[in-house]
Amino acid sequence: MAHGTTTAPSEDFVITPVRPGEEKGTWSSWIQDLFFTVDHKKLGLMYIAVGLFFFVIAGLMAAAIRIQLAIPNNDFLHPDVYNRFFTMHGTAMVFLVGMPIIFGFANYLVPIMIGARDMAFPRMNAFGFWITFFSGILLYMSYFTAPSLYNAGSAPDVGWFAYSPLTAKAFSTGHSTDYWTLSILMGGIGSVATSINIIVTTICMRCKGMTLGRMPLFVWTWLVVAFLVVIAIPPLSACQIMLTLDRYLGATFFDTQAGGSAILWQHFFWIFGHPEVYILILPGFAIMNEVIPVFSRKPIFGYPVMVGATVMIAFISLGVWAHHMFTVGMTSLGNSFFAISTMLVAVPTGIKLFNWIGTMYGGKIRFELPMMFSIGFLFQFLIAGLTGVMLAVAPFDWQLHDSYFVVAHFHYVLIGGLLYAIFAGIYHWYPKAFGRLMDKKLGLWHFWLFTIGFHLTFFPQHIAGFWGMPRRIYTYEAGRGWEEMNLISSVGVVFQAIGILLFVVNLLYSLKKGKVAGDDPWDAWTLEWATTSPPADYNFEKEPVVRSRRPLWDLKHPKDPDWKYE
Amino acid sequence: MAHDPHSHSDENSVELPTPTAWPLITAFGIFLLFFGLVTTVVISLLGLLCATIGGIGWFSDVFPHPKHEPFPIRPKDQWPQPISPEGRSVSHLHVGEHGHREQYPAAAHPYAAGFVGGILGALVMAAIACAWGVLVDKSIWYPINLLAAVGVPSLAAADVETLKVFSMVGLVVAVITHFTTAVLVGLLYTVILPMLPAKREWIWGGIIIPIIWTGLMWATLGLISPAMNAKIEWLPFLLSQLGFGLVCGLYVARSVRISTQRTWSVAARLGVEAQHPGEK
Amino acid sequence: MDNAINQTLPVEEETPWRLPSIRKVAMICLITTETALFTIFVVAYLFYIGKSLNGPYPYEVLHFPWWASAALFGSSGTIMIAEHYLKKGKHGLFNLWWFITIALGTYFLGFTAYEWYVLIYKEGLTISTNVFGSTFYSLVGLHASHVIVGLFLLTIILISSFRKKIDHEHHEHVEMISWYWHFVDAIWVVVLLVVYVLSMNY
Ligand SMILES: [Cu+2]
Repeated sequence: MAHGTTTAPSEDFVITPVRPGEEKGTWSSWIQDLFFTVDHKKLGLMYIAVGLFFFVIAGLMAAAIRIQLAIPNNDFLHPDVYNRFFTMHGTAMVFLVGMPIIFGFANYLVPIMIGARDMAFPRMNAFGFWITFFSGILLYMSYFTAPSLYNAGSAPDVGWFAYSPLTAKAFSTGHSTDYWTLSILMGGIGSVATSINIIVTTICMRCKGMTLGRMPLFVWTWLVVAFLVVIAIPPLSACQIMLTLDRYLGATFFDTQAGGSAILWQHFFWIFGHPEVYILILPGFAIMNEVIPVFSRKPIFGYPVMVGATVMIAFISLGVWAHHMFTVGMTSLGNSFFAISTMLVAVPTGIKLFNWIGTMYGGKIRFELPMMFSIGFLFQFLIAGLTGVMLAVAPFDWQLHDSYFVVAHFHYVLIGGLLYAIFAGIYHWYPKAFGRLMDKKLGLWHFWLFTIGFHLTFFPQHIAGFWGMPRRIYTYEAGRGWEEMNLISSVGVVFQAIGILLFVVNLLYSLKKGKVAGDDPWDAWTLEWATTSPPADYNFEKEPVVRSRRPLWDLKHPKDPDWKYE
Repeated sequence: MAHDPHSHSDENSVELPTPTAWPLITAFGIFLLFFGLVTTVVISLLGLLCATIGGIGWFSDVFPHPKHEPFPIRPKDQWPQPISPEGRSVSHLHVGEHGHREQYPAAAHPYAAGFVGGILGALVMAAIACAWGVLVDKSIWYPINLLAAVGVPSLAAADVETLKVFSMVGLVVAVITHFTTAVLVGLLYTVILPMLPAKREWIWGGIIIPIIWTGLMWATLGLISPAMNAKIEWLPFLLSQLGFGLVCGLYVARSVRISTQRTWSVAARLGVEAQHPGEK
Repeated sequence: MDNAINQTLPVEEETPWRLPSIRKVAMICLITTETALFTIFVVAYLFYIGKSLNGPYPYEVLHFPWWASAALFGSSGTIMIAEHYLKKGKHGLFNLWWFITIALGTYFLGFTAYEWYVLIYKEGLTISTNVFGSTFYSLVGLHASHVIVGLFLLTIILISSFRKKIDHEHHEHVEMISWYWHFVDAIWVVVLLVVYVLSMNY
């Protein structure tokens, strides 16, 4: 590689194409940057910013729900408002918080980790972001523009899985359910477009030497997730199209009066819905795959097995959907099949947990913030997985279906699992994106307050569920034994809210006041740390060449490089 | 697009896609299209127009060639810092090194030994059980039917007298269960015995392990097969287990251990290196 | 001072580094996702076979579309011939066969329009009549919408070709559009089987 004596006179650098209104630092340049950009890093950050924005809104709704449930016979929220809140909370958290944030991480990191300059289809990438953003706007517009019987605005109130026949025109008048359907249909377009982009980027844009077997596990996991999105989102879109036809043109797909089937909606929705759980949690695994080795100072344990386990999880997750429907009344064969296939997911998931522990075993663990959240993830996701296997047992599910036990289970998955992974990821890559480290003291407060609050809120819900508390009830009578559990649950929200507040403060504070990070603050091994923080628009001055899974390790240890062992 | 034949990168600039708002306009058009469906159709028409314009603009951006423009590379003093290999040390984990446990057997008995040992043990075990049946219960079929009762509901519900009568189903189920389990335990012995902390493997395999699992069975049989639990006699059960353990354990322990190669380097495993760590 | 990553030892520099074509991978992904979409509509159709509470029923109103199917399947052949001539550089013949493909596709679309016209105005079957109507119009309509998109893409290529804008680097674009057209054809095989064969006796 000929370098060293490049004849690069500095006047060549003035070829910047300055378009009118694009002088750096002005308002108009800022807006142009926002609206015109096709850069994967900017779009990635925009995805995460939008996700965090909706996270705060949907989180406030959850807080209101917890206030309503804190004491028996409470009337803090009107029952109708309550129904809208839990619907909007669930829908927003899945489609407007989880999906955008994970896509943000993928957008920012996948190209740079494989040594590419951008995504394969940069314009489609921008399109995917904007359509996701507008789908969120459309959903929340319902509060202002959906006419209903009672108020000027009426948000959807049919629950996040919108079971038929509640969504039929007869039971859901006005347009609130249409907002829900159309918004999800729109978001689906963006998710599929972005996922195709990620697949193509991963397969076709890798830098020299980056064979499939050398890709960072983050990228591998994302390749699998993107395939899962491509296969699992169309069923959702299909059933939304059917529902729209039902509601607008009087089709009879889900109209039981006219020969349609309400159960079919459940099947179609969960054919999407269960893979969706893995679409959300696998990116969490992806972040773990990068964070845990770096802070354990060891390479990931069992790389090929990790890849295999990811593929296996994705594959099995396509055949487990009816475990959400045990109480519908299926045949024994159906029950057994879906119970066993669901339990089978525990095998590759267990492999992953053990491999992360195997990575930490014998390593020099550094308790930085990303690692703290990762360890929290391991504990909490284990609990989530175990309650998941419990719910896979059909007779057990008959008892606890639609109870607070289920609520506790999936909040352990999505908060204890995914959200902790997202926090770990943000603390880990924030210095790369903004050039400054996040404040550790504030971060520790965030970690402990949020962890305490999280367990206070959601652990008692397991017990309330065992004691028969159904989910989605607006209030409950005193004397049923649920008072203590609900009060503890609501108190936990206070801790969580302060934790999140500190996190947001930290995000903004560290932007200007954080410690300067340098190129490689964590002494890590993947390509994103080989460029500056923040990276240049083109990521790398010269396209990198790699020879092992840890290109930066090779550079740091020329006497003991990884490629010797490959 | 690095492989685009039309890119003309030079030393001082790279080709990056030209920023464009067409995707945003297209997305906004689709948004209006959908928004019109829940408000008035005029907005939908507006959205259709907007999306069409956006689509045409987008198409003109990528056809005939995707638009890109040269982006200047920063001056060299802003490039990433060089990575220094100074002041670093690497420690490798080695098997058996200061308390680092061996996670897997470095050497194991051949599977064949486990298979044969399991069969032999199963024969001895069956002989003991049947002998007890003939001598004490006055029926050779009694222990056989009792074992089969785990999987055959009719036998599980039967009384003692029925169990003493020959049953074809009982015989088949019992033989399959008995030998499959025995072979599986024999195979397990080949990998477990080398990991146990004693020189006399056969004591572990022959006596200690059978006693442990007899205890385990004693504690849990009520859950697995209530019928068997109600009728089982624990003395002959233990005796037959010990018979199995001793035969199978001795047979496996006497076989020659072979290296699992897990501690070898890749080169050694591939046969590139002549001297293997396990060989002298 | 140099970019850190450029310090990597240049040992493998001589080995060629080839990656799959971006367009092909993208088209495969698109076809995968479209297949998933069609699968759900096909399943819905199969699920509702024979479950209509009132007529008209499939056996009363459906007729096997011999000519339209032949036209659509034939267009898969003509598009391949067109591609063949493009590779040989014979642009005139390419235009001709490409135009025939469009014509066949348009004939198919016209058939669907006529079929729907008869069903709606003569037989009285609409999307809200019964579950047969709902599933039939949605499945066939979804396919027809893909035919429309395909015809649109084919027309763009034809116009570009007339304006002499199709040069060597666009061969893959043309190939991708033909892949899409083959996909639309393959879906018709399934729709034909499900709608015009399997449900004919109900
Ligand atoms: Cu599920």
